[in-house]
Amino acid sequence: MRLREIPTDGIPYDRLCVEKIPAAPEYIPRDPELVPASNRSVVINPNRICMPIGAMWAVLGIHRAIPFVQGAQGCTTYARYTFCRIFKEPATIATASFHEDAAVFGGRKNVVEGIRNLVVRYWPEVIGVVTTCSSEIMGDDMVSFLKEARARLSREIGKEKVEEISVVLINTPSFAGSHVEGYDRASRAFLESLATTRDVPSERVNIIPGMLYPGDIREIKHLLREMGVGGTILFDISDTLDAPLNPPQEIPYYPPGGTPVSGIRQMANARATFALQPHAGGSGARYLERKFGIPAFIGPVPIGVAATDAFLQNLSRITGREIPASLRDERGRLVDAMADTLHHTMMKRVAIFGDPDVVIGMTRFACELGMTPVAVSSGTPSRTFEGEIESIFREYRELFLAEPRVFNGGDLFEFEEYLKTLPRLDLILGHSKGVDISRELEVPLVRVGFPIYDRFGYQKKPVVGYHGAELLLYEIVNELLDYRYPDDRTQQL
Amino acid sequence: MLDAEKLLSDRWRHVVTKGDGTAVLPECGRPTVPGLVSERACAFYGARWMLAAIPDVIHLVHGPAGCAYFGSIVRRKSYRVFSTQLEERDIVFGAGEKLYRAVLEAVATDPGARAVLVYATCSAGLIGDDLDGICKRAARAVGRPVVPVNSPGFCGYSQAAGHDIAAGVLLEHFIGTGKAQEPIANGVNLLGEFDVMGDLREIERLLQQLGLRILCAFSGKAATTAMADAHRARLNIVHCRRTGQRLADAMQERFGTPQLKVSFFGFEETASALRSIGKFFGSAGVEEIVERGRREVEGAAPFLKKLAGKRVALFFGASRMGTMARAFAELGMEVVMIGSQFGCLEDYRDAGARVRAGTVLIDDPPEKELEEFIRKHMPHLFVGGTKEKYLATKLGVPFLVFPQETSCFAGFRGFVNLAREVAGLVGAPVWRLAGRLPEI
Ligand code: SF4
Repeated sequence: MRLREIPTDGIPYDRLCVEKIPAAPEYIPRDPELVPASNRSVVINPNRICMPIGAMWAVLGIHRAIPFVQGAQGCTTYARYTFCRIFKEPATIATASFHEDAAVFGGRKNVVEGIRNLVVRYWPEVIGVVTTCSSEIMGDDMVSFLKEARARLSREIGKEKVEEISVVLINTPSFAGSHVEGYDRASRAFLESLATTRDVPSERVNIIPGMLYPGDIREIKHLLREMGVGGTILFDISDTLDAPLNPPQEIPYYPPGGTPVSGIRQMANARATFALQPHAGGSGARYLERKFGIPAFIGPVPIGVAATDAFLQNLSRITGREIPASLRDERGRLVDAMADTLHHTMMKRVAIFGDPDVVIGMTRFACELGMTPVAVSSGTPSRTFEGEIESIFREYRELFLAEPRVFNGGDLFEFEEYLKTLPRLDLILGHSKGVDISRELEVPLVRVGFPIYDRFGYQKKPVVGYHGAELLLYEIVNELLDYRYPDDRTQQL
Repeated sequence: MLDAEKLLSDRWRHVVTKGDGTAVLPECGRPTVPGLVSERACAFYGARWMLAAIPDVIHLVHGPAGCAYFGSIVRRKSYRVFSTQLEERDIVFGAGEKLYRAVLEAVATDPGARAVLVYATCSAGLIGDDLDGICKRAARAVGRPVVPVNSPGFCGYSQAAGHDIAAGVLLEHFIGTGKAQEPIANGVNLLGEFDVMGDLREIERLLQQLGLRILCAFSGKAATTAMADAHRARLNIVHCRRTGQRLADAMQERFGTPQLKVSFFGFEETASALRSIGKFFGSAGVEEIVERGRREVEGAAPFLKKLAGKRVALFFGASRMGTMARAFAELGMEVVMIGSQFGCLEDYRDAGARVRAGTVLIDDPPEKELEEFIRKHMPHLFVGGTKEKYLATKLGVPFLVFPQETSCFAGFRGFVNLAREVAGLVGAPVWRLAGRLPEI
């Protein structure tokens, strides 16, 4: 890779850096008519996955729970493969194994036999039944199938044993929404079927984190601990999908941790619910508010300074706990790091893509760093996404920003083609699917969001909270330095 | 052996132990029992696995976002994928027109593509659009083949069904469509070779020493132009039977191309592969090549010392079982289990003949049975796919992912790589630190 000289005079600040000469400067023009995803029937390089995988993710965050996927084998296997690659952990997910006969006659037999086989082999405490496009198109009557499955199990292993197992049905036809919605539906399904009675109200709060990694959930637990607030995390994957290697293990292997069923029942007694991601978990929080009047704080996901402030302030207001000095220091260290590296981050032009709530959070944080988001793309279309982005920009308008291009639900092809038309781009923030874009455009990619499967450690490294933001900042700054000043080893900072 | 009484009645026939001289084989080719944590995937996956690497065509997944996303990350790589991304209204009102438009648009954005492959997944299969008719109409409109790959996930019992479907597609639309007929004297095809981590390059190097040229490898090197001329090969070399046999048989029937089933994993297998190919072509100097290989393989000696007598469990896709068992035996290891997701009787017979008495043969094992096996037998190494890896490591057992992740394992040089990697895994300090029991 060749570098241009560091320019010295007559140029605006945001040009003051070593410019890369692209390795492959020839640009293949596309039919402009066909670039916007909304003009096409065909989707090129999808920026989202389907509903069932979000629901499976959720179920894996429950103690001794196994998802049972009502569909053909691939839906399960692909999801297991995806989880294995992201978390580097085993993912136990059972399949109903649809074959042609099920496709013709429906999936009753698969449910009745499948639930029974799953129970006698694994003795789970919870089974999350996840439907797929095939079972939904065939019109499987899952409620009655599950009744039948329970009846059969009762005959075989006894009623008491069956009663110890909670079975929760999550309807996730894959054609009706993305993984984000799958997680969201799981949050409502679990609360509706388990958190059914409010008896002894407690001081605890509920947290529905959304599709955040184990490192993020650990960070949230840390914030709660520092605040002295007891909390129940719904779908706590921090241990189930990041378990220590301590052989010998019990067989069947259940990873430690996860939200216990009793914990989910107790969520009906909580003081308040924080759904950190409105699109992934908001429905669960709204259910508790509607049914029991438990106040719901929905979003924003605590990425960056202001959003973390807001989370802690709300927590403080509702529980009456002061924000402790230790957290103020954490905040101070983050802001200090931002000040120390401002000259590298400010006015950098950044493109952001991924799931809607994470993109909103990242956009706000990028603005806090003085960066200029030029394009943001949410893989899952959302009614509120554009409004949120606009309001962030109103807030930072007095800086220097032009409106970014907002892509609400498009594909990565559209995003990439748009980025190619920009005069300049410094950084891309997004998940592993952005690698090709980053290579094509010769712009560095900082990995954040779901899924990240091609690098190690991101699942353990938080981006939420002050500490998470600080770690993310390091990565952004170092990535920019590596890229712009790769062979200048002195005095970069 | 696993405790038969602990296996449910529907599974115990699938697990057998090789006795002295007896020829028991596990029952196989059966549907997976519902409710298990199956290691099998779907027909769509199988078709994608076969076809994903074909470079100069458009891959269009006719199904919901999930299938399209998943179809873009097979073979541990990232491929550009086009999709109709079916939504609710498409399911209700039919998606035929959408598919038709999608094909036209896909070609318009990628005009250099020579054909379009349309993969039908579960939902497309269930809503019952006339896929063939739409593809025909679209083909007329875009002036190049638009080929339906009819691979809904519920077809067949595993990804193997998809391999067959993909083979059918290749035979019908791509292989031998070129004009020229005269055979290429030193041309061969490699069937069932996917070019994992440079395997293909190593095999190519060996064949070159015999004076041969690979016209086409399915599908490590399978541009449409190469496939069009594939019928001009003098010989089809079947490297993986599960994905290549069907192609080989059909090509033999249609073009009279003879076939040879060989393997390039392990020293003996590679040597006998070269010998039989050399014999077919009457090539001189095969023994020198093998001799050179023998010297190359000596590079593995320091690693073999560490591996003598260590127990290994092998779990593969299918037909590589037997030849890989032999390769691991050459490493000096004792194969204690051999299993596959979708092997056929012939695969098990093959494998069974090459392992010692006492080896467990297991068909389509669900996660729990692998777990029990590991717990009971504590092999020094487990070989399998990414999904099984993390379970084994959690139980303290070193794991080798196959198809491999780091270096080429095929041919003589690949064998040294294999030895190095296995020795590194088995003897790694981390297992001592993890307190693995029993002690190695
Ligand atoms: S099982 Fe069907 S819906 Fe699932 S990934 Fe395979 S083709 Fe797609």
